[in-house]
Amino acid sequence: MRATYRIIESTDIQPNVKMFKVYAPGISRKAKPGQFVIIRSHEYGERIPITIAGTDPDNEDVTIYFAEVGVSSRELGRLKEGDDILNFSGPLGNAIPLKQYGEVLCVGGGVFQGANYYLAEALHLAGNRVSSMVCARKRSHMFLIEKLKEISKELFFATDDDSDGDRFQALLESTLERGGYSHVFTFGPTSMQKAVCMATKKRNIPTSVNLFPIMVDGTGMCGACRVTVAGATRFACIDGPEFDGHLVDFDELISRMRYYTPQEKIAMVLQEEGVI
Amino acid sequence: MTETEADLPRVGVFLCRCGTNIAGTVDIPRIAQYAEKIPGVAYVEQNLHTCSSEGISKIKEAIRNRKLERVVVAACTPRTHEPLFMAAVEEAGLNRYLFQMVNIREHDSWVHTGDKEAATEKAQHLVNMAVAKAINLEPETRREIEVTPSALVVGAGVSGMTAALSLADQGFQVYLVEKDAEPGGLVKDLHKLLPTDTKADMILAPMIEAVRTHKNVSLFTDSKVTGVNGFIGHFNVEITTGQNKLTTEVGTIIVATGAEPLSPEGYYQYGLHGIITQLELEKKLVDDTAVLPNQVSMIQCVGAMEEKGRVYCSRICCGVAIKNALEIKRRFPSTKVNILYRDLQTYGIEYEQLYRDSLEAGVSFINFDPHRPPEVSITTDGQLNLQVYDTLLGEEYTLEPGMIILSTPLTPREESKELAKILRVPLTPDGFFLEAHPKMRPMDFSSDGIYLCGTAHSPKNIPECISQALGAASRAAIPMKKGRIMAEATTAVLDPEKCVGCGACATACPFDAIIWGPLGAPKVIDAACKGCGVCTVECPVGAMQLRYFKDSQLTPAIDALLHPFPDEGAQERKPVILVMACKWCSYAAADFAGVMRLQYPASVRIVLVPCSGKVDFRHIYKGFMSGADGIIVAGCLKEQCHYVDGNIVAERRVEAAKKTLDALKIGGNRLEMFFCSAGMPRDFAEYMRDFTERIRKLGVATLENNQAFRSLDVKTLTEDAGDV
Repeated sequence: MRATYRIIESTDIQPNVKMFKVYAPGISRKAKPGQFVIIRSHEYGERIPITIAGTDPDNEDVTIYFAEVGVSSRELGRLKEGDDILNFSGPLGNAIPLKQYGEVLCVGGGVFQGANYYLAEALHLAGNRVSSMVCARKRSHMFLIEKLKEISKELFFATDDDSDGDRFQALLESTLERGGYSHVFTFGPTSMQKAVCMATKKRNIPTSVNLFPIMVDGTGMCGACRVTVAGATRFACIDGPEFDGHLVDFDELISRMRYYTPQEKIAMVLQEEGVI
Repeated sequence: MTETEADLPRVGVFLCRCGTNIAGTVDIPRIAQYAEKIPGVAYVEQNLHTCSSEGISKIKEAIRNRKLERVVVAACTPRTHEPLFMAAVEEAGLNRYLFQMVNIREHDSWVHTGDKEAATEKAQHLVNMAVAKAINLEPETRREIEVTPSALVVGAGVSGMTAALSLADQGFQVYLVEKDAEPGGLVKDLHKLLPTDTKADMILAPMIEAVRTHKNVSLFTDSKVTGVNGFIGHFNVEITTGQNKLTTEVGTIIVATGAEPLSPEGYYQYGLHGIITQLELEKKLVDDTAVLPNQVSMIQCVGAMEEKGRVYCSRICCGVAIKNALEIKRRFPSTKVNILYRDLQTYGIEYEQLYRDSLEAGVSFINFDPHRPPEVSITTDGQLNLQVYDTLLGEEYTLEPGMIILSTPLTPREESKELAKILRVPLTPDGFFLEAHPKMRPMDFSSDGIYLCGTAHSPKNIPECISQALGAASRAAIPMKKGRIMAEATTAVLDPEKCVGCGACATACPFDAIIWGPLGAPKVIDAACKGCGVCTVECPVGAMQLRYFKDSQLTPAIDALLHPFPDEGAQERKPVILVMACKWCSYAAADFAGVMRLQYPASVRIVLVPCSGKVDFRHIYKGFMSGADGIIVAGCLKEQCHYVDGNIVAERRVEAAKKTLDALKIGGNRLEMFFCSAGMPRDFAEYMRDFTERIRKLGVATLENNQAFRSLDVKTLTEDAGDV
């Protein structure tokens, strides 16, 4: 019998961002921070890779956060508590090693704040001194702040407007300057991860980024998720998603991520017009 | 008037008869009756000439007296008359962007002269479109930009130096950048100049002295412009001299990088002893003791006016040849001079006089047929032998000149490509810099604040170069003198609430006018935005919009243009073709097709877009749903996009859209991308006729099968998409 991946909890985090807790006993037992699942919401749906943002083996559920930015993620967002997700496969990708890093800074941005908290908590439990930086376009787009406070030595907020928090770039520079971090982890928009890497490279602070290029099967078969790391072609799904951020060719990654924009736009229009 | 209609803004429609230009073909009173019934239209007026001072004052009067909130003028092309009407609307107290113009002359009465009924019907659709767009227009504010009073002039030939000195004399700081060790450009190597026979040095020496000593000119020799960022008023330029880099801010830029004569390898045995170019002859003539053989022949159009490749006429070579022939005759009266030509370009007063003088001096002219060009051979004792068939006498000649002089065209410099990329300005297919408009803006690039002059633009003689350089300097001086300019409001604008922070807009912008913050909120730098709209199509959620061309304005306009849905009953009806035409090329080509009265089917209806890169699948889909049988996305020739590569982006999108249309069973072959330039009206009209015929063969759409598209479920779509 096919497993049933039921949505046991659905919460609107922001107008565009939803949190699902999905019943997935196997994954909930095995998943570690840094790993992801691939979801299809229906038979003709596109595969969507989503980073795991928490598990509860007792309740046998997995937490994911996703932004409704395209046709498939909008379709996923239409599902309600009690609905079943057709495919929910994982955990995929490599887990981030939960070693003793010492003084670490976890930078999480946008919808990846959830995945970032999952990692920060695990690093904290592994005995690291964790500081966290939460990045969002506005203060109202931040979530999991109370939980982060509990596990973070210091907590920084960065927004892109001047209304709240400090401006990201300035905050990043000053935090790194006085923090004495031995390792930095990033989860978030590619542009944010790139900016963090540029700042940490100057100071020689080892930095782990988590990359999410266009992905299809998530098991190393298709090669769609190629990224150039230290001049070599790597697959984000099976070689990552964690990579040494100082060696990643971000500009190539960003341009590859734009490859299907005409098709994405067409799909969005057809969805708005009610054709699909 | 219904409830909803009462909420609509009050639109005034002004229908221009343009004497009989429009009214002779389009039934203006009938359009007036029709327009009165369009929801939102509060006032309709017919004018003999809406653009006359009387017409203009009537618009202003109606805005005040009839409390108009939007103005539509149906007349000629907005490309020439829009600023006039916008200014009038503004003077009457209405925001200038609450104005919409629609072309019922070049795009209608002039191209459908034989079918008054169809032309009138088309005019109704066009007016309907303009009203629909006008209703949805929003007031926009033009921005004031400060202009730094300094200029960069690239190239220190005669043109560059003239422009630099003109600006310097007006008190502006000028950075003059020259790639060679010395200023002077091509003229350095010339002996005497056309058409006045002045010694080159007489012109050049004082100019070089002036640019070296003028307190407002900083001359950089052995230097290159290696980077330009910014926009009119604030260009940041990087000048590289050897290892040194200088970065400075200038308000305007003039391109005067010149051209170089073709070195005719492979033509007429060039390279053999005694076969030289005009430039090499000039270098000989500089020496007063030079000796020439007693017979010389010149061959014109060497490597010019070819069937492929260098198709253009360099237009100065005939003058150069005659000038040099006269010089030879003057210095060596016994030397026989023949000029072998295809078409003699001795235009204007001075050239014609030169030609007459040369005939009097005994220069002989032999006309040859390009399909039967002269043949050069060399005898064993080294004598040159020239075989030519004279088309006028119908006889074959054999000449034995002591020297053959080849007249080669001016060709674009290889470095132009690099500079064009740095400045983000277009080149012609021949490789010369392309001006914004050949008549209306001959010294401007389409990017504000960048101007051009001299042979970098096209081959020309010294007086023409100097006139153009003075013109370019004057164009550049205007914003610098004013100190501030008003920039068009047609820039991209972001709705931060809708934005999902994907950064697609910033990645797509060809002008780096969108800063994508690391946290994902893009910001448009208004002053750097040139208004192509490429980013707005890239945006997946419609958060990025182009002012004056918003989706909320274009989509109803397209719908109204096609409304009412073509009559299904009429089996023989012509297919309705929607053309989304770039204002720089195809819209202009359609204008010129009008001027030339080139006829095409009246069922072709044209929508103005700023760039083919502004065409969204949304508009294509809307077009088909509203009744278009075929759609053309028309953009500039490749490499000629005024916004760098909007047309290439458009082509990619059209390819993707064709596959989708196949899957939707509308048919990808009902959508085509057409590349043309403003100078291709014949091609435009021909394409309209051919495309209409292709679509006619495919069959016309009916309301019934259009509605069937809507019911397609995702299953059919994905299955079909798999096949394509």
